[in-house]
Amino acid sequence: MTTDSSATSPRQPAWALGVCDGADAAGITDVVYVPDNPLSFVLGDFERRHRHIRLILATREEEAFGIAAGLYLGGRRPAVMLQSSGLGNSINALTTLVVPYKIPMLVVVSMRGDEGEWNAAQAPMGQAVRPILDALAIPHVTVSAGEAARQAVIDAAGVAFASGTPRAVLLPRRLTAS
Amino acid sequence: MTRLDATRFVVQHCADAAIVASLGHPAYDLFAAGDRPRNFYTWGSMGLASSIGLGLALAQPNVPVVVLDGDGSLLMNLGSLATIGLLQPPNLIVVVMDNELYATTGGQPTPTASGADLAAAARAMRIERATTVRTADELRRAVDGSTGAGPRFVVAKVSESTPTVKPPLDYVGIKQRFMAAIGSPEC
Repeated sequence: MTTDSSATSPRQPAWALGVCDGADAAGITDVVYVPDNPLSFVLGDFERRHRHIRLILATREEEAFGIAAGLYLGGRRPAVMLQSSGLGNSINALTTLVVPYKIPMLVVVSMRGDEGEWNAAQAPMGQAVRPILDALAIPHVTVSAGEAARQAVIDAAGVAFASGTPRAVLLPRRLTAS
Repeated sequence: MTRLDATRFVVQHCADAAIVASLGHPAYDLFAAGDRPRNFYTWGSMGLASSIGLGLALAQPNVPVVVLDGDGSLLMNLGSLATIGLLQPPNLIVVVMDNELYATTGGQPTPTASGADLAAAARAMRIERATTVRTADELRRAVDGSTGAGPRFVVAKVSESTPTVKPPLDYVGIKQRFMAAIGSPEC
């Protein structure tokens, strides 16, 4: 599907359009998600402009990784999209299923607890996201500007599916709350 | 009916199915009942067998998918019932081998030993074809028949049987063999 990022409006932030365009260009077939405020822009854009990509609601992030693993086993190219707090719910799925079985997937993380966070309860997990991913040897990039989102997603998904590993794209609050 | 009896029965009656087994005793019994390329043995991710099976059923709508779960495992991920009830995959059968124990970890009782009703939970989450079975004949009726009318959920009340064999610890090999058997491209 074609895109026209010049149509960006406050309801359609560039970073969200870029995530969706990148996922589509990378051949993502299914997005398993647990809702999050910034991700609502992404989910809305998938529904508007990328309707061939299937959206699958999970009740919890760990469940989302299990569904995504099953989708991959069935020949699909899945993505998991979640808030960073939900990464804490997902560590066992990553460490005992996704990583040892070498199940690739794109992971898009909407950050809480980083710069600009108003709720201190979100800070400990937000600050731990990158060290946790590093400890699990899951590569990650942080999108610093809206126009960089598309290529970051394409690159992460491409390497993930070429190498049999999950790859994460982090969306900081400074980007998504602006 | 022991869990191994029930597992053998499911493997024989669902010969075409892709079978996903929860970690520990359900996976050990699936291996004992008949190792085959269409078996996916999990070695961790407790609770996620039904989620893996759901993703697989959505990806391959023409492949019958059977999940061999445990009562303790499913209780870790009851939200999965809501997701299966939401999506209604007609080619998915979740069989819970309910021995009312955390048998793999030493035999501590689970809440089903005190009456927690997993089939009622499934029906409450809109999985209408949900039953509890206690004999091989009831199990046959529950897993036989055509797909196409929504997912099925079968609680098989089983007695514990001590496994004597385990599948190989070759995680990537399990995955690759499974994907080749169901015709999934590695993408």
